[in-house]
Amino acid sequence: MTRMTFQQAAVAAIADEMAADGDVFVMGQDIGRFGGPLRSNAGLFETFGAARVIDMPMSEGTMAGLAVGAALQGKRPVLDLMFGEFLALVMQQFLDAGAMHYYSGGAATVPFVLRVKYGIGPFHGHAYDHHSWLMGVPGVKIAAPSTPQDAYDLMRAAIRDPNPVLFLEHMALYHAGRAEVERRAPPRPLGPAATLREGADVTLIGSALMAKRALRAAEALAKEGIEAEVIDLRTIAPWDEETVLASVRRTGRALLLSEAVARGASINDVAARIAEAAFDALRAPVRRLAPPPVPTPFARELEAAYLPDEARIAGAARDLVRARAPAPAR
Amino acid sequence: MGHGNDVLAGMYRLMSLTRALDRVVGAHDGHWHGLEGEEAVAAAVYHGLRDTDVVAPHYRGAITAALAKGADLRRMMAGCLGKASSYHLGRHRSDVCGPPELNLIGLYGGSLGPPLGYACGAALAMTLDGRDDVVLAVFGDGTSSRGDCHEAMNMASIKRLPVIFVCQNNQIAISTPMADGVGGPIAARAEGFGMPGRAVDGNDVLAVREAMDEAIARARAGGGPTLIEARTYRVAGHFVSDAEDYRDPEEIARWRARDPVARYRAFLIAEGVMDAAAMDALDAALVAEVDAAFAAARDDAVPDPAALDPAAVFAEARP
Repeated sequence: MTRMTFQQAAVAAIADEMAADGDVFVMGQDIGRFGGPLRSNAGLFETFGAARVIDMPMSEGTMAGLAVGAALQGKRPVLDLMFGEFLALVMQQFLDAGAMHYYSGGAATVPFVLRVKYGIGPFHGHAYDHHSWLMGVPGVKIAAPSTPQDAYDLMRAAIRDPNPVLFLEHMALYHAGRAEVERRAPPRPLGPAATLREGADVTLIGSALMAKRALRAAEALAKEGIEAEVIDLRTIAPWDEETVLASVRRTGRALLLSEAVARGASINDVAARIAEAAFDALRAPVRRLAPPPVPTPFARELEAAYLPDEARIAGAARDLVRARAPAPAR
Repeated sequence: MGHGNDVLAGMYRLMSLTRALDRVVGAHDGHWHGLEGEEAVAAAVYHGLRDTDVVAPHYRGAITAALAKGADLRRMMAGCLGKASSYHLGRHRSDVCGPPELNLIGLYGGSLGPPLGYACGAALAMTLDGRDDVVLAVFGDGTSSRGDCHEAMNMASIKRLPVIFVCQNNQIAISTPMADGVGGPIAARAEGFGMPGRAVDGNDVLAVREAMDEAIARARAGGGPTLIEARTYRVAGHFVSDAEDYRDPEEIARWRARDPVARYRAFLIAEGVMDAAAMDALDAALVAEVDAAFAAARDDAVPDPAALDPAAVFAEARP
């Protein structure tokens, strides 16, 4: 066990996979001697050299293309796209990659990790959260760790996964303190959510920074006698229906948290499934808490007002618990 | 030119096969993208590759590329009909996408630029693994306007990738003539990207082959990418049902008179490689072969709706 930040854990996972499998290589802009934006590849160049830590020109679409083409030839590329706001530049490549395995009846596989940094945090820029665009794309996975251990486990799992994976690295979590990380292998596969806290009154569901804030909100609610269950999805696509539905069946209340604006957000899929599969267990309408439908703002004050915070999460959960279920018809 | 008779005859066979595909598939499918006028490029470019070489073909010629790489004709025909017996199981079309297990990179969406990047990625894998295989990235003058095309050439040059870029320039992108879509000579871009480039007569199969031989030899030896612009003309419509009210029929007639197949036949006869009777017999045999494969594929089973299984979109993790 070593104490690591999220960033250190993610890089350690890549280093461990590169050491374990000669087909794994990383590429991106400024990832060599520079170490990657926010130190996202720190130390890899020194350990593995220019042949496996490949600096790239500013050609995002073609970098994604390189990853797809190399994966088709048996390599396991990890592409650091710098920031999630560049997703638009690689969408076609990711759509194609998601289709290849199914279309070819399994003849083609595309193991490809696309790393993006995003999220409102200390770095004041590049915050845009566009991952929801990929929710409707069959054949791609989306991972969003919230802790250093999950960053390590999910990164190793993403690299070993034989499918294209969008790997979200939240900049507010990136250097936000160290935690014990076990460098374990083989990693758990992508998919299972984590229940961060158990509670009987309401289920709070989110990922990355929202999961962290939900946990703090739950601790505040506990002082008022409200016991919130907190679920960190960890894998946003495909997400863990079993864990979420079982929890909502127990609590009868679901509060979904999103950093992407509500319209078109990935959590909407969770809301729809709860309505379809657990409607009879609901004691209150499913509630979403998300930023207003405006572009991600700049000023600190606007940022603070934009993102769901602990007070608003707690407030929404409180409202849900206090809402009276409609009286049964006579 | 120094080509043995096997290469010369092999290219004729590929040309004749391409024309047979046009006749048979084109008769059944109004959306077939015909190759009339462009057969020399397809024959010269796709002939004689190694199994381990990778091809990202132009969609116009993708079946020729697949067959040249060893794909089964009947399964390719089944793919035009969406049959379960096709390489893509009826889930995807074979006219634009050959089997990946034969190192073909087809279109997995309708967007034409990204496969140029996939070609570069396959080439990167070859350099990482120390292979001396090559990748062909074939595209039209339309796709030459994509940012993907510029990025891929720049990337291949920087990373010294074994890619042969071939622009199958048929001078028109659906209805947009080259003058309205391309700002300058495509081959001249090579200099700006720092790679060798040359324009060749795309109706001269031997000229295209000579440029290919040079480019392939350079790529295998670690000399990096090459751009070849093969200038030809789309005598066919964009697809079979194309009304073609956007161009001058006289222009089409002028180019039809410059038929690359007739030109190559004259060469083969003059050189004593094949005689007219032998080529006629081969032409007839290939039409019969394609026809029989197409007819047989029509009787193949259609896909079971169970093939829509959502679990099938993900590959299983290795243990």
